[in-house]
Amino acid sequence: MLPILQIGSLAIPTYPLALVLAGWVGLEVGSRVAARLGLDGDHIYNAGLYALLVGLIASRLGHVIAFWPAYRTQPLEIVGLNTRALLLWPGVAAGLIVAAWYVHRRKLPWAAMLDAAAAGALAAIAVASLGEFLGGQNVGAAANAPWAVSFWGVKRHPVQIYEALAAVAVLAATLSALRLPAGPGTATWLAALGYGLSRWLLEPFRAESATVLNGVRAWQAAGLALALIALWGLRGRIGSVGQTEEG
Amino acid sequence: MAIVIRTRWNLLMILLLGVGLAWIWVNRAPAGTSNAGSLSPAPAVGHPAPDFTLTTARGERFVMSAQRGKPVVLNFWATWCPPCRAEVAELEEAHRQYAGQIVIVGVDQAEPAADVRAFAAQYGLTYPMPLDSQAEVSRKYAVRSLPTTFFIDRDGVVRRIAHGPVNRATLAQLLRTIFP
Repeated sequence: MLPILQIGSLAIPTYPLALVLAGWVGLEVGSRVAARLGLDGDHIYNAGLYALLVGLIASRLGHVIAFWPAYRTQPLEIVGLNTRALLLWPGVAAGLIVAAWYVHRRKLPWAAMLDAAAAGALAAIAVASLGEFLGGQNVGAAANAPWAVSFWGVKRHPVQIYEALAAVAVLAATLSALRLPAGPGTATWLAALGYGLSRWLLEPFRAESATVLNGVRAWQAAGLALALIALWGLRGRIGSVGQTEEG
Repeated sequence: MAIVIRTRWNLLMILLLGVGLAWIWVNRAPAGTSNAGSLSPAPAVGHPAPDFTLTTARGERFVMSAQRGKPVVLNFWATWCPPCRAEVAELEEAHRQYAGQIVIVGVDQAEPAADVRAFAAQYGLTYPMPLDSQAEVSRKYAVRSLPTTFFIDRDGVVRRIAHGPVNRATLAQLLRTIFP
């Protein structure tokens, strides 16, 4: 665990640093995959940066709405630089809408862009998970396994490393799928299947999870739902290719 | 042939659904269960907050473990630190608003009591300010930058750690993790 990177008198928190790095790695990998698919890689950077910008604004607006009584008395804080004053989901939703608008506006091929974005997202998840490990965020459940790591005197599953390795494995499968005859879009379904399965499988190794009915871990259930939807999507693509080849 | 392929995919989906639901069911985490009690005290989310006893700037004894039963906002600060000065008004406001319900504490790092008293008087601060004159508690809480604020629930478990200053909105958001 290395929560702070100390360079002389400068103390840099590693987790936020890893998140910035994850964003860059995601855009770079997505851009390279886009180029491999015959697209201009800059489209991934453009869509990603527009999404980031609008996402940040929406995250702040979401925070302002959610905590309006506090902002009403401190209106300057609405445009303040406090990076904690953000709500995740409004930002994610707005970012996705803007990225979709960019693809639509430029008349780019949806399936190929999604394939490139999926690869970039998986690379970003891998780096962010390593950042979680270094920063001691979202630690694993207590464990006696030989590879367990000690966080504050408790040996725990290095669940962040599991998640990073899973993301790398799914990324490798996604890149391989780009060569499949099933065509553009197949890699996206495969990425969704792999990521969904990894969340479903690994969530119980986290020390704490958000729960829904009867203690069901919310992200585990969401992972299974994503995997099933992705399997249904692959069924339509790979199934029909197999049918054509055999027919 | 198409029917055979489709049937195989359908079976695969049914198999995944069955195994998936079983794995989810056996790994449920019923609400209200926490393993925090079995963990050693540490300045980390999910761990019991380390205990300490200090004397406040007003000469009173402050014992962290005696606050059990009430949520605690444990703020590490110093008078020379500009971001710390920026957030003291919000902490004081929360102290007044949640009097008797939430304990707001400002652990001053290695400064003379007279300086802290003068600062508190200048800004009208009334919440307790234990003096960590040897910075031992700061080390115990692994405080590497000021301000750092720990949000501790009524069971004495650390729920959030905020590095850097809070404003009214972010304080309201962070308080939701420990109150009500």
